[in-house]
Amino acid sequence: MSVEEEVKQIIRRITRKPDAEIAPESTFADLKADSLDIVQVMAAIEEKYDIELQEEALQHVKNLGGFIAFVEKAVADKG
Amino acid sequence: MRLTGAMEKRFEDKVALITGGSRGIGRVIALKLAAEGADVAIGYYRKKSAAAAAVEELEALGARALAVKADLAEPEKIVELFDGVRERFGRLDVLVSNAATGVARKAMELTDRHFDWTMNVNARAFLLCAQQAVPLMPNGGRMIAISSLGSRLVTPVYAAVGVSKAALEGLTRYLAVELAPRGIAVNAIAAGAVESEALRLYAGRLDLPKPPVPPAGRMVLAEDIADLAAFLASDAAEMIRGQTIVLDGGMSLTQAQAPSEAEEPREPARAPEGGLDHE
Repeated sequence: MSVEEEVKQIIRRITRKPDAEIAPESTFADLKADSLDIVQVMAAIEEKYDIELQEEALQHVKNLGGFIAFVEKAVADKG
Repeated sequence: MRLTGAMEKRFEDKVALITGGSRGIGRVIALKLAAEGADVAIGYYRKKSAAAAAVEELEALGARALAVKADLAEPEKIVELFDGVRERFGRLDVLVSNAATGVARKAMELTDRHFDWTMNVNARAFLLCAQQAVPLMPNGGRMIAISSLGSRLVTPVYAAVGVSKAALEGLTRYLAVELAPRGIAVNAIAAGAVESEALRLYAGRLDLPKPPVPPAGRMVLAEDIADLAAFLASDAAEMIRGQTIVLDGGMSLTQAQAPSEAEEPREPARAPEGGLDHE
């Protein structure tokens, strides 16, 4: 499974939203995800890929598509 | 950093575990105990690089050190944390339950998930850690829970954390009595506003006014908590059982306490709610 699919799966599990809502142009706000959801999503992704995500970098992420790209880069950087 | 008593070696040949020990108050407690001779394990939630840095600092003090990633909301992760301590050190003399998290909302705006998450990390984890710790603890073992004045004073958007800290203090009393026959002393420290990363985060994100300076003339520092934790972990504290020691520079004795409801943060409903990572 690709990083994109796995990240979507994690978001789906934690926010309890259907597939259709986990779209690239959606935002965490659209999903009504609160800060606890976001912390748990980040923690689950970090656990999955053994990486460390910086919250500060999230400020530049506009939507889920951007978030997935952010995670893909972190995974790639780890090698 | 002030490490009073650094020349003393009260914890030589002892092993300490500090949950949330990679950053903030937990890190300072870990360094204090290491400076006094303890080997130290730290639990951390997310910040692997901070945990690695803390391990380096601990080793520089001459301690054997171990960092274990553990989401304390998950009971099986707590078991893994103690598996790590058992495998590396084979024993545990001092447990410091320091990790804390929270969702900063008014009580009426909390969901069951917010409440459960906060309670699980801040209070239930202490119970589960204590259950795991006891088989590793010899006579003379110590458990110290890090609480806060929010357990008894009402602070804006602190309901979930404050209630979890009240539970932590109650649990401290029960464990103190139940574990007394095994020679294990259990106590808690309730700190006032501590000059720390977590306070800056909490106050900054929620636009809270700066906490007042307590009668003692300065803010409480992480080092003050570390000094008290080290005392409670020492042989000198043997007869202190089940107590919650207030460490606030006298703040709770005056009316200059945390901001009142009238001074609640602006736009609380839109304020970011999380942020107090449990490490």
